[in-house]
Parts: sequence; structure tokens; C-alpha cells
Amino acid sequence: MTTDPPPAAGNHGAADNRPTPAAVLQRLRSDSAAAEIPDGCDRTAILRYGEYVGSVIESRVALPRAMDHARTLLAASARAGRSVASGTVILADTMDRSKGRFSRSWHAPRGGVWGCMIEAQTLLPQSRSFIPLAAGVACCEAVREIGGTRSILRWVNDILVDGRKLAGFLVEGYTEPVHSEEFALVGFGINVNNVIFPDELAESATSLCQVLARTIDLTEFTTNFLARLAWNFGILHHEEARGLREEGFSGDQGRHLLLDRWLNLSDTIGKHVVYGFDVINDPQYQAEVSGLDAGGAIILRLADGSVKTENCGEVRYLPAGAP
Amino acid sequence: MANEVDFDELLGKYKSDPFDYVDIYSVHTGRVLFKTVEGQEVAAASGEWLQIPGTALYEINRERNPRIVTSHTNGIVAAINTELDGQFVEAGVKLMTIKHPLKKKEIIENILKEVLSLFPAPESAKYFFAMDIQSRIDKKGARAVTIEPGDEILTMSLMKRDTPVYYKGERGVIHSVYFKPGISVAQGEPLLGVCAPEKLSLIQKIITRVKADWDHDH
Repeated sequence: MTTDPPPAAGNHGAADNRPTPAAVLQRLRSDSAAAEIPDGCDRTAILRYGEYVGSVIESRVALPRAMDHARTLLAASARAGRSVASGTVILADTMDRSKGRFSRSWHAPRGGVWGCMIEAQTLLPQSRSFIPLAAGVACCEAVREIGGTRSILRWVNDILVDGRKLAGFLVEGYTEPVHSEEFALVGFGINVNNVIFPDELAESATSLCQVLARTIDLTEFTTNFLARLAWNFGILHHEEARGLREEGFSGDQGRHLLLDRWLNLSDTIGKHVVYGFDVINDPQYQAEVSGLDAGGAIILRLADGSVKTENCGEVRYLPAGAP
Repeated sequence: MANEVDFDELLGKYKSDPFDYVDIYSVHTGRVLFKTVEGQEVAAASGEWLQIPGTALYEINRERNPRIVTSHTNGIVAAINTELDGQFVEAGVKLMTIKHPLKKKEIIENILKEVLSLFPAPESAKYFFAMDIQSRIDKKGARAVTIEPGDEILTMSLMKRDTPVYYKGERGVIHSVYFKPGISVAQGEPLLGVCAPEKLSLIQKIITRVKADWDHDH
């Protein structure tokens, strides 16, 4: 066992994107007071459950990849006999090795919100499936609040505006090497003030700045996004607690509340789509989306009338009337 | 894994009774209504994407949410607990048994599953090999890849959440791969069959013997 100290955490003054834990908490509290929640939902409990998100924020000028940095931080801390606070957020103004699923490249120049949140794995397996939904819902809400009212969620958690991708999320598990403690690393990439994309993304990507035709205060937007992330993770823990008490979930008709929130922000239901585990390189079949099941899996109706439920993979929308 | 395998006993077992007996359990609590009867032939899911459901076996109704459970295997309904028809049951109650006729390939797989160390799926999800393992398999083939306890061997993918899966078990080579990328694997189902490198020849002997005996007798 080594005794190397963990990499230093904290703000680096030169970074563009510098939200503070205090500002995130203040925003969370003011948002929660105004949030519409169903009867029977415990606002105070949601707040309490979610307050850990953003309790530590590390802002960097540049990182190769935030997820890798999080792993290094977790491993080094464990070796030094320390813990990393659950809810720690790592941000970088630029990343030169960022990626999406299946090693797809993700362009992360100055102007965007790039980073990840470290979640100690305290949720039950049945709740963990909602983590990617919570991240997408949080971002879509933050984008709409700033004026991006046409933003929608495409299953699982892509944020689109007018068919172009504005943000994407990737959740990766990590088990630290000393005590085998498990973490979920919630990676996020949100195009905010960056307007130049590589050629291969030029037709499919957009940014908030382009959508709203103005420059956005990056730190303020990130503060709002993290507060939304905290609220939605609070809901995730709240719903799990209700489930364990056998009280049922608090959404419409007993649905998981996060699923309700996702459905309210998404246009995926009813779309004609192509589905694939890796839909870019290996599209599998076309279908119409008929709904989501109780766990968030997508229900697809094929041309022959049969129905498939997929709990992972991805979809791309097809033009209306496509065969 | 035993060093010696009693081929005659193993083969005799399958020759005398070349069937799998698949028990069907209630998937959750609820009121059960059977959709099949004893002796009925049932079919597994079919279609290119297994999108056409198998034969309906039973309906289970919990809080006015009825759910039809279909067969994942073909065969004959060999036994059915008819006294449970229309009754409320707990999750995991045995409802019926399907007698599934085994093909030669399935018999080999079944025998191998008895002699290999099986690595099960930790959750119902889709799986793919970790990049390092995949590149080693691409270069040399799975049976030339040795894995050790603690190795990151797979990635579990569920709802855009990718989790590394670490190998637990004895050091060995990847002999059998039971999953396909993009196809869901139920929790507890085997993902890999692993054997010690020095026992690969024994495994090959089993396959050769079963193939020869089965071709000869059937």
C-alpha cells in the first residue's frame, strides 16, 4: 500500500467555470421551495437526500478526461486511507481525451460544461437504472429554465434542440482498488458557449449560445445544472426510500417520479426510430416507440406488430413516414 | 473441475433422458391464471430479434396490472400446479415445468457447463468484453486468453450506465462465451465458461466423445 497523497481537490482560480458548493446549495434550496411536486412527496426529504451533490467542486483549466481524473482521485484517496465525498464534481474548461459511448469522440473545447460527478454506490440495483435518466432530466430542466424551451430528451438521456444534440451523458461504474468500494461516475458534456464543432458533428450538434443567440454565463448555468442534478438525485433517493417502505412511488399512477419527469420532457414516445446497442455502427431494427416500462426501458413496436423492450442501447429518430 | 470425467455416466444420463426440465416460477406476487395445460406444446420466442413472444404460459395480476409471461424455451408442459390457478401467489413459486428436447449441441453445452467454472451475470443487462480482453481475443482467440481473479473482463451496460465487471473465480482460459453483444442476459445466467489451461485437452476430449457417440447412436 502506498502513502502517496491524493491529487489536490479544490478550485483553480484561473478556470472559466467556477461554481461553488455554497452557490449550488443556495440554488437548490430556492429551486426546491418553488418546485412542483406531487401530493405525498416530502420536499424536505428530497432536499436532504440531494444536498450532497456538488458539496465539493473541483474546477480545472484542462484535463485529459474528467472520468479518468475521478478514478485517479478515488484510487489515490483510498490508498491514502481517505475518502472522496460522494457528490464531488470535477469540471474542466477543456478536455482533450473526452469521449462518448463506444469510444466515440466528444469535442470539449472552452465554453462548454464538461465534467463528472462522483456518486458513491449506495443505491439499490433497481434504482441505479434511473441515474442516467436523472442526469438527462436535470440538464433539460436547466436548459429550459435559461430559455431553451425547445430542448427535449431523447431516450436515454440525449438533449436535443431542433434535432441537434446539445448535451450527452455517460455513466460509468468504478470500483476502487483498496476496499472495493463502488462508485458511479456521472459524466456530462453540455455545449454552452462553444460554437465551432468538428466537421463530423457540424450538422448534428448545437450549443445553447447558438440556440439562444447570446453568450451564457457559464458558472451561473453550471450552478443551476448542478442544483437540478442535486434535486433529481434527491428524488431518486426519495423514491427508493418510499419503495423500501412499501409506500409505492410518488409519480402519476404509482410510477417512479423520475420517470414522470422524464416523460414530461421527452418527445421519444410515438417516434419512428432505428434501434441498436451501438446504433451508429450497428443499427439493428426499426420500430415505433410505444412507451417506457416501469424501469425506464424503452418499449418498441416492430412493423410485424411484435413488441420488444430494450433496457440498454440507443435510438435515432427517423423522418416521419419513413418505411 | 474434476480431472477425470466418467464419460459413460454422463452420456448415459443424456441418452436415457435427452431432455431439460425447465421450471417456471411466478415472476412476482399476484393472482395467477394459467394460459396453458399439461401436455401442451409450447414455443420459444422467435424472429430475427426474438421479437415474437413465445407461447403464453400464465397471466399474473398485481394491483390491476396484468402481465402475460411467455415461454423462453420450446417443449411440452410436463407438469402444472393447477391448484394455483386463480390463486394469489408469492414471487418465486413454482408454477409448471417444461420438458425441453435437447439437441446435440445443447447436450455438449450442458456437459461443458458441468465441468467448466461458470461466471454468471451480476445483473440483467447487456454485456461486452473489456477493451483489453477483446483485443486479446481478436488477436489469439478466446481459448488463448487467460483471466485471473480481479481482472476487468467485461462491461455491463444497462440504461446507458456502463459498469466494469471483475472476474471472480479460478485462473483459467475463456473456453465458452455464452453471451452475444447487444443481447440481454438475465441475472445469474452464465456469461463465460472458464477452465484451467492444463484441462483444455480434457474438455476437447469431452466434446469429441459426445459428438462421436451421439452421431453413432442418433
